[in-house]
Amino acid sequence: MSEITAPIETRPEEPSHTAGRWIRDNLFSSVSNTIQTVVFSAIVLGLLRWILGQVFSEDADWSSVATNLRLLMSYNYPTEQFVRIWVAAAAIFLMLGLSLGAWGIDPGFSVRRSARTLISTGVFALVVRLLLPSSTPDAIAMAMIVIGVVAIVIGGVVMRAVPKSSDRRVSFTAALGVMVGLVLAVVWLVPFGSYGVAEGERYAVPGVTVASSTKVPWTIVLLLVFFAQILGRRLGVSVGSVIRRSIVAFWVIGPAFIIFLVLRDPSFDWAHVWSTDVPMAAAFALGGGALLYALGRPGRDDLARVVGALLLALALFHWVAAFFGWYPMLQKARISFLLIALAVLLVPTFAGERSARVRFAGAWVGFMVVLHWLITGINTPSTLEISAPPFLGGLVLTVGIAYYVMLVSFPLGVLLSLARTSKMPIFRVMSTTYIEVIRGVPLITVLFFFSIMLPLFLPRGMGISDLAAVFAGYTVFSAAYMAENIRGGLQSVRRGQYEAADALGLTTVQRTTLIVLPQALRVSIPNLVGQAIATFKETSLIAIVGGFDLLRIANSTIPNQPDFLGQKRPGLLFISLVYFVVAYTMSKSSQRLEARLQAGQAR
Amino acid sequence: MTDNPNAASVIQLGGRPPIWRNAAVLKWTVQFAVLIAVLGVFWFLIAEARTNLSAKGIPVGYDWLDDPANFQLAEGIQTVDSPERRLTMSRALWVGMVNTLRIAALGIIFATIIGVIVGISRLSKNYVARRFSSVYVETLRNIPVLVQIILWLAILGSLGKLTADTGPIPGWIIISQKGISLPRVFLADGFYQFVSLLIVLSIGIRFISRSWRRRQEREGGDQRVGLKTFGLFVVAVVVSWIANPVMGFLGPIFDAISDGWGAIPQGLMQTLLSVVAIGAAVAWIKRFLNSRRTPAGMAKLIDDDWFRMVFAGVASLIGVWVLWRGWPGLSSWMVNSGSDFWGVLGDKFGDGRGAMPFDAMRPTLSEGRFVNYGDTGLTLTVFYAALFLGLVFYTSSFIAEIVRGGILAVPAGQSEAAAALGLNRSQALRKVVLPQAFRVIMPPLGNQYLNITKNTSLGIAVGFSEIVQVGQTVYNKNSQTLAVFSIYMIFYLACSLTISLVVNSVNRRLAIVER
Repeated sequence: MSEITAPIETRPEEPSHTAGRWIRDNLFSSVSNTIQTVVFSAIVLGLLRWILGQVFSEDADWSSVATNLRLLMSYNYPTEQFVRIWVAAAAIFLMLGLSLGAWGIDPGFSVRRSARTLISTGVFALVVRLLLPSSTPDAIAMAMIVIGVVAIVIGGVVMRAVPKSSDRRVSFTAALGVMVGLVLAVVWLVPFGSYGVAEGERYAVPGVTVASSTKVPWTIVLLLVFFAQILGRRLGVSVGSVIRRSIVAFWVIGPAFIIFLVLRDPSFDWAHVWSTDVPMAAAFALGGGALLYALGRPGRDDLARVVGALLLALALFHWVAAFFGWYPMLQKARISFLLIALAVLLVPTFAGERSARVRFAGAWVGFMVVLHWLITGINTPSTLEISAPPFLGGLVLTVGIAYYVMLVSFPLGVLLSLARTSKMPIFRVMSTTYIEVIRGVPLITVLFFFSIMLPLFLPRGMGISDLAAVFAGYTVFSAAYMAENIRGGLQSVRRGQYEAADALGLTTVQRTTLIVLPQALRVSIPNLVGQAIATFKETSLIAIVGGFDLLRIANSTIPNQPDFLGQKRPGLLFISLVYFVVAYTMSKSSQRLEARLQAGQAR
Repeated sequence: MTDNPNAASVIQLGGRPPIWRNAAVLKWTVQFAVLIAVLGVFWFLIAEARTNLSAKGIPVGYDWLDDPANFQLAEGIQTVDSPERRLTMSRALWVGMVNTLRIAALGIIFATIIGVIVGISRLSKNYVARRFSSVYVETLRNIPVLVQIILWLAILGSLGKLTADTGPIPGWIIISQKGISLPRVFLADGFYQFVSLLIVLSIGIRFISRSWRRRQEREGGDQRVGLKTFGLFVVAVVVSWIANPVMGFLGPIFDAISDGWGAIPQGLMQTLLSVVAIGAAVAWIKRFLNSRRTPAGMAKLIDDDWFRMVFAGVASLIGVWVLWRGWPGLSSWMVNSGSDFWGVLGDKFGDGRGAMPFDAMRPTLSEGRFVNYGDTGLTLTVFYAALFLGLVFYTSSFIAEIVRGGILAVPAGQSEAAAALGLNRSQALRKVVLPQAFRVIMPPLGNQYLNITKNTSLGIAVGFSEIVQVGQTVYNKNSQTLAVFSIYMIFYLACSLTISLVVNSVNRRLAIVER
């Protein structure tokens, strides 16, 4: 691993030139080059001036953003319950730090390159200071000068201290430490001015730092990232594969736990949980696991098929009984019966020696536990008091929707792409039609269709919340694109792989899950990350169909507040920055990931 | 396999497997089961929707298309509700479609120009150009296009107030917080005759140009064929501009076709379509059997092949059933709309058509506002401008990346060879590198064009009257959601198909001709 994480940057350091020589070569080498320099410099300076004019224009009231930061991040979450949001954030940041460490992420910051970046940042800050419009507050103009001078001085000192040929690198832990330290310094020292709501009145105290209720949690969370990264690095060396698998498991199901943590009131009916939910889950998980383990012994294929068929008949009978109302039964019991029947029918495919059976039975147990827990969670009512419903909103909604859409549409996309590349004509035609129709229409029509038509399609008496309908539509839309991305990977798997799998006597399911898909998914990872970025950006469309996401809050909630009537530009510029930071980070890390994958493929 | 305890179930060579172990049977059973399940779910959902809709007293169908619209469109061509041209629902939707295409076409042109410039300057030797372009691309493509559009709307809203002499050229171009107004060119009465005459002349020019080209290939040298052809074309445009009433004779011909089409009885149409359906199935089966024919005679057909043939037959029979029993109205609808189509064409060439193919007008203001309807300039509202700017800048950042990738995909040896031949940098770029890069660029570029077309639907967020926004107004008025959504789908699928057809044909022309 370590030689792969070593710098991908293979371009040799440019031969050392004086600054004058560099300027002549890169800016004024020929007439056309000089013209380009002049034209583009004019464009750059003009644009920068224009953007600064927009940011610091006289009628832009940035306190509209500062006051509403909490609204933008988590919408109407009750203040007294806010500790839950912090716990959730701490969990996510903890796992983020662990992941960074466990996979040994290290972009490899070269000391000289970092110093050069520092110097150019300083120059940029000074240029910005020169172009600031006259309406800018003095503090910001002063800060620009300070930042510029300090950055140039530090960068220059480092450049002098480190010899030109040196390829010394800053360790990632140190870089992370510096970043955490800088953010903490900003949170604790910079006087943003304090804004908030006390007893229904909005107050603003200029010139003080962030409130303690915010900066203390931020300090804890950021320190967690830092130390978790160190811990993850240690664990990644000692128990690498275990810790990495656990982290992946967390990222897949963890967010569901977090939603539970954030939405559910802890004071629900524990008696029902202990008397019914837990025993039922245990029975299905353990009984089913034992059954699968026993039937998976080699030579019991036909027995497994018979048992599976009987169980399937029993499960279907439960649904028929439910339809006619012969006897009561919990819906999740019916679902579990159906699932265990299907699992038993799959046994011959995954049967084999002990470790294979243990794995299959173990997967079943894990699946049952998560499923039952989720169903229980959904059935337990939330008793949080919300002042203005919908209380899911802001950045939380944006990120949450994007995450779950990707998570749910992934298996759908795999199925669709398999169907599209399969040799079975009806499946192929159905899947192709679906994919092409969905890809042919804009997302907004799909979202409208689901939010308006889904309630009409449902039988009377059944309802669906707006957000759920939109989520369903977005998933349906995303699955089509996902299918196309995965199809690209499937087509890159060579014919010989299929033939080799057939020659080994693998069944179609085994060939697909064990040979073809792992290779295909590996190839399509860069495209999938690209789609994740697109999904994240396009969650902004939820604002049009009625969700209170970042855009909706910045574009209509804040400008309608009596204190900030019509203040759209600061909010919109702020959320542009938020979107940019998240999407840019994702795309940069995806480029790095791509390079790593290519390095891994090279022989 | 030898120690498989279920040896009894191993199939004897030459025998047929039992039916529950026959892969072909199982495959087709599963496929049909899933197909029936999916169709069943759809049928159930549509039935539910119908009951739910009729419970609310909303009729299902397309009869509402001829109802008067009773709403005003903020912008668009020919939105006037006059006695001779009522603004019906269908007309409103049509205006929406035209608006969508208008902004999509303009957006495609501008995004391509900006994208190509930025993409090339990302590879420039000049440091400022390189850095500027990469910051441009990274910034614009990482901010959602909807946020950009709304941000533009907010910025444009802070421009100057609207008066008759706001803007760079008073009276001709107006730029204000209410929008932009330019002199407008529009299609006048003679347009269709002009275009048809131009087409006729262009065919002639094509023949002449081809013979010139042949001569050039025979004799060598640069005989400026392209320039001469262009000159001829300009002459043809002038000639058709002046002489377009010549084509008036087409009107009666189209009217005659329209009458003849309308006279087709429904039964004949049904029979014709049925023949087409069955003929297609027969042709497919024949071709399929032909593909199974080997020099040694007919190959043995496996179960899978039989299923395929039966499926083709059943599909065509279902088509015939739909034509005669399921939806008999389909045939008469095709007869009527075909006749209408030719009738409309006939009207366009009818008598009394003027001689001018185009006409122009200047922007006008009345009571401090733009005149939305009637004889005025081309008014681009601030909504149009916001949508346009957002789409163009966002998409141009993607196009820039595509262009850069395409140029990088051309091997360095090509530009070195061009330099060795004595071409300078811009010549090498134009004559050697870009033509080859186009092959790589074209497919993803087509995708971006499709994205622009689809993203115009975001106009709904800023109130621009494109098809989705007009459609929403329509179904808010009469609750015909299902019908409106079907119109959306057909319109966008038609756009996608057109763009991919164009891109594919360009691709074929660009493809390397292999020996």
